[in-house]
Amino acid sequence: MDGHDVILSIKNLKKTFPKDDGAMVAIENFNLDVKNGDFVCILGPSGCGKTTLLRMVAGLEPLTSGSMKVRGEDIEGPGSDRGMVFQEFGLFPWRNVKKNVEFGLELKGIPSEKRAEISQKYVELVGLKGFERSYPKELSGGMKQRVGIARALANDPAVLLMDEPFGALDAQTRNQMQMELLRIWKETKKTVLFVTHSVDEAVFLADRIVVMTSRPGTVKNLWNIDLPRPRDRASSEFIALRKNILDELEVQKTGA
Amino acid sequence: MNYSSETKSGLRAYLARSDPLRIGLMVSSLPLFIAGWWLLSIYLQGQNFYYLPTPLEVWNALVASWEWDPVTHQPLLANINASLGRFALGFVIAIVIAVPLGLLIGYSYLIDAFSKPIIEVLRPVPPIAWVPFLLLSLGLFWGPVITIFIGVFFPVLSNVIFGVRSVDPLLIDVAKTQGASNRQVFTKVIFPFSIPFIMAGLKIGVGIGWMCIVAAELFAAQGGGVGVLITAGQTIGRYDIMFAGMVVVGLLGIVTLTVSEYLEKRVKIWMGMM
Repeated sequence: MDGHDVILSIKNLKKTFPKDDGAMVAIENFNLDVKNGDFVCILGPSGCGKTTLLRMVAGLEPLTSGSMKVRGEDIEGPGSDRGMVFQEFGLFPWRNVKKNVEFGLELKGIPSEKRAEISQKYVELVGLKGFERSYPKELSGGMKQRVGIARALANDPAVLLMDEPFGALDAQTRNQMQMELLRIWKETKKTVLFVTHSVDEAVFLADRIVVMTSRPGTVKNLWNIDLPRPRDRASSEFIALRKNILDELEVQKTGA
Repeated sequence: MNYSSETKSGLRAYLARSDPLRIGLMVSSLPLFIAGWWLLSIYLQGQNFYYLPTPLEVWNALVASWEWDPVTHQPLLANINASLGRFALGFVIAIVIAVPLGLLIGYSYLIDAFSKPIIEVLRPVPPIAWVPFLLLSLGLFWGPVITIFIGVFFPVLSNVIFGVRSVDPLLIDVAKTQGASNRQVFTKVIFPFSIPFIMAGLKIGVGIGWMCIVAAELFAAQGGGVGVLITAGQTIGRYDIMFAGMVVVGLLGIVTLTVSEYLEKRVKIWMGMM
């Protein structure tokens, strides 16, 4: 891998949380390089620290030791070079769709005409044209997450961090949103770090899947998914891959 | 929430969704109450108990005091003006201090740690307990104003603090990942999130403010007031004027409460929350 091409680099990462009797090790000896434009899914049993890992990349949690770099720069707190999409959407209820998407631009002091231009571009990209003036309470769960994605992209981040973004949606909307996300990813060529506990979702979306061990979380295995897109969930290759990865997850659950 | 999402005016929407029985009960309740009052006062007056005038006597006292009353020696509107001005002044001072202070206390645990003991000691003291001291120290104008201030201040403060503490941590995380500084988290997330709580605090403050009016004007107040009408009416044995003052306080309370509910609703609509 060409060092220049690596956009996110995690080395010997360790994260502990203070506990009454010493410290709980959440993540240990975690290494990962993500290339520019990669779609990487992080899979693991619940409690393995995958959300913590994502929050650390976002800068919302400090690391205990090791290093995390985005474009060669150490991560020191949150920044708009890393956009995050949350499972529970996190839309501002007092802002309409347009104003939610423009939030980060407003913080940077970008003038309103330029903001409107950028927000319109991303509102249209996520398929919400015509809903610019709608408020979050008027939107369905899928539409809310489209706003969440547009808002994260409006800052033009180097990496898009997604924390089980479709976990709160029904199965049908979820499948639809996965296809929408792939379309958006193709159009924007963003690097995506996507946390999920659904093997099916990971195999459908990812270039690479990082399978994590249960606590303390570390990389158990890396899968390269070479299936051509759009992927057919009913194809034998898809089913075989899904089964292999599921088995790997099952083994550590029962073998622990 | 207490409100329907209808954008029609409150009363129309309220009546529109009511069934006939409900409307009938609403329309008949006040006349029945007045009739009951009337019967009771006639009965009591027959027993040589003269402290409860009939509704007609109160109405007549009200009409007479419109021009002039023998208690405050001025027209009713002057009394209403005096009370409303006092109410507004005490109310506004309370808001101007309680809102920023509540935001700070809710946001900073250090400011909370320092101010909490003082606030918790002062909060349970009823505003009326302050009246003698305030009249002696601040006089007949500011004494009653500050009594209302005390009554309004604490419930508004509590609501603002509660509002800040209710902020969804997820929204703060979102703001941070969007590049917000601490100051921007405060101005763009915590403050707007607290606005509905502040409005609810104002509504509670209005109710308590009117409760304090009579207390504030209990002994005397510069330029009269509806509270003076009540206490002085009692002193000279004009119970019809006393009750007329009570009716006016009730009506002023309804009007200001309706205004504050309307404002609360407008703010929520403006913020897209209704």
